[in-house]
Amino acid sequence: MSDRIYYLDHAAATPVDAQVLAAMQPYYSDNFFNPSSPYAPAVAVRRDYEMAKSKLASTIGAKADEIVITAGATESINLAFSSAVSHVVVSAIEHDGVLAAARRINYDKAKPTHKGIIEPATVASLITPETDLVSVQLANNEIGTIQPIRDIVSVVEAERARRKEAGETRPIYMHCDGSQGFGQIDVNIARLGVDMLTLNSGKMYGPKQVGLLWVKPGVKIVPVIIGGGQERGLRSGTENVAGVIGFAAAAEKAYTHRKSESERLQNLRDRMQQDLIKNFDDLIVSGHPKKRLPGSLHISLPGIDGERLVFSLETEGVLVATGSACAANKGTRSHVLTAIGMTDAEADGSLRITLGRLSDDESLKTATSIIIQHIQREKERVGRA
Amino acid sequence: MSKVYVGMSGGVDSSLTAALLVEAGHDVTGVYMKNWTQDLPGMRCPWADDLADAKRVAVHLGIDFKVFDFEQEYKQKVVDYMIGEYRLGRTPNPDIMCNQEIKFKLFLETALEDGAEYVATGHYARTKNGQLLLAEDSNKDQTYFLYRVTKQALEKTLFPLGDFTKPKVREMAEERGLITAAKKDSVGICFVGQVGMREFLSNYVDTVPGDIIDRSNGKVLGRHDGAIFYTLGQRHGLDVGGGLPYYVVGKDMDSNEVYVSTDLNDKSLWQNTINLNSIHWIDTLYEGECLIRVRHRAPLIKAVIRDSILYLDEAERAVTPGQSVVIYKENHCLGGGIVQ
Repeated sequence: MSDRIYYLDHAAATPVDAQVLAAMQPYYSDNFFNPSSPYAPAVAVRRDYEMAKSKLASTIGAKADEIVITAGATESINLAFSSAVSHVVVSAIEHDGVLAAARRINYDKAKPTHKGIIEPATVASLITPETDLVSVQLANNEIGTIQPIRDIVSVVEAERARRKEAGETRPIYMHCDGSQGFGQIDVNIARLGVDMLTLNSGKMYGPKQVGLLWVKPGVKIVPVIIGGGQERGLRSGTENVAGVIGFAAAAEKAYTHRKSESERLQNLRDRMQQDLIKNFDDLIVSGHPKKRLPGSLHISLPGIDGERLVFSLETEGVLVATGSACAANKGTRSHVLTAIGMTDAEADGSLRITLGRLSDDESLKTATSIIIQHIQREKERVGRA
Repeated sequence: MSKVYVGMSGGVDSSLTAALLVEAGHDVTGVYMKNWTQDLPGMRCPWADDLADAKRVAVHLGIDFKVFDFEQEYKQKVVDYMIGEYRLGRTPNPDIMCNQEIKFKLFLETALEDGAEYVATGHYARTKNGQLLLAEDSNKDQTYFLYRVTKQALEKTLFPLGDFTKPKVREMAEERGLITAAKKDSVGICFVGQVGMREFLSNYVDTVPGDIIDRSNGKVLGRHDGAIFYTLGQRHGLDVGGGLPYYVVGKDMDSNEVYVSTDLNDKSLWQNTINLNSIHWIDTLYEGECLIRVRHRAPLIKAVIRDSILYLDEAERAVTPGQSVVIYKENHCLGGGIVQ
């Protein structure tokens, strides 16, 4: 195994930023108090907690009392889906969190284009008078495609207007899973126009198991976890103070550096993409060429086993993901890759490379040449057989 | 140099087996045998991590890797057999059946068809000209599980770990940087998994509660939830409470009664003769003085075999119907049979 690590899987997890960790630390030790306790030091912790929530909310243009802190994105999604009882429309390339929550209700899946775009018209065609929730992700975690959320919101608004006209009383909400993309693209509730938004601290250099659901005033959700009535009764349990302090610090940093970071990542990504294309004529780059997260690069080499590549690259410290766990086993191919119309061979030969703060010019050059070598080696091995 | 297919389970033994064969200059292909598992909804499937480990080691060794899907055959030949035996009140050994039907039959045949000259596994045993010999590590020796393998299969089989002790195997795996070097050994029966045999069986066999009876006085001591769950010599889980521990000394499947006793020397717990069924000889039939092993890792004890009956020098405790007795002469495993 290599001592040096070239981490190219930022869509899976990000390291907690050093400043973020430093900001959290006192809330595990000196300031450990329960924010609901009556004495002054605990009240101070309560104030810090509320302050952190305000900062956090302001990074998406929201107010503190509109967000519910959850233990990660999956819980946030579950909470958002508590608003639905009769029918939901989700995109076919959502994260498992959304798909599993949708399966509990009557649901339809909007198919993406080959570039992974969810067309507003596709969503519109699936909305029925029974639909009470539409959920489409901000950006895809595998191929990086950024969705036209604003335009999908227009479709939901049109249905809302129709119901009002017809005197129908069933509400319809739009939820967006924004787990991927914060710090790389604009994430603002007014510009997105959604009714609920999920964010995930663990994907933006904050601690894991911290997330939030922003809920537009007036939207009715039902708590999933009940108890002491924290988070305005919408999420009980003693506040994860350190987690939220960290989440807020991480979000602020990502928000502040978004433009420069996204430009930096895009340059690195584009160069890597060109280098790979130069070396392999049969290389397929998936996702939308432009409407794609700047740090996201999804490639496929039909005939190559992506999982083998992952295992061989790790020996040199290059850490990447693949859309297919063990090609020889049916049922483990990524639903995203299948939905955008990939053949089995393309899906099995896929690598997901996601850049982030751990990627710099020098390390990426080395990682790219290692990846090229290993792909060549695998191609030779397959050719022999 | 030969073309060898290695059964890789994702554990340390089969990982090192593959590594040693590569070092010996063989053309090695790693194979994961996908056996039947019970899918528990909403849970990460238990074998996926093992499969990933096996593949990872294969890739690190630079060898080809394949998955042989034996799910259907495994279900029929091993799982159904096991359930059937329990239903009849016996205590079967599915690992022995797995070696007989899957690893050293189906896997071997499939590998040979695919171009292999030999197969190899990480069993602790040795082969020589189609004979089965005890492993160097007498504590780990797995010949007990291998006695039903045929001579023809053994002629095509390599057991590279037979000369090493388990600690040595871990050390060698560590030296080679195999990621499975420190992985915990698997225990129990793979497809039963974490749920335990009782819960597993209860999904397949309708059981009726019945009486637990003290054999010495015929008194009903309590109730059991199905006679199939009880096995000869068993002490725990009887729930009859109080005083000296009770042992299962017998059961009657027809009347659905389980008999227990506090007497460790109850005669039905101790046997001087054992009647064997479906005897398998690796090479040729043998009669006369021998050594036997009545369960995995049990000491070798002296006996004489004649007409499918074993006569023991000293009585042995809890020789359980359905289990295997394996027969040895010096360090040769000759075969064995299933207790009637």
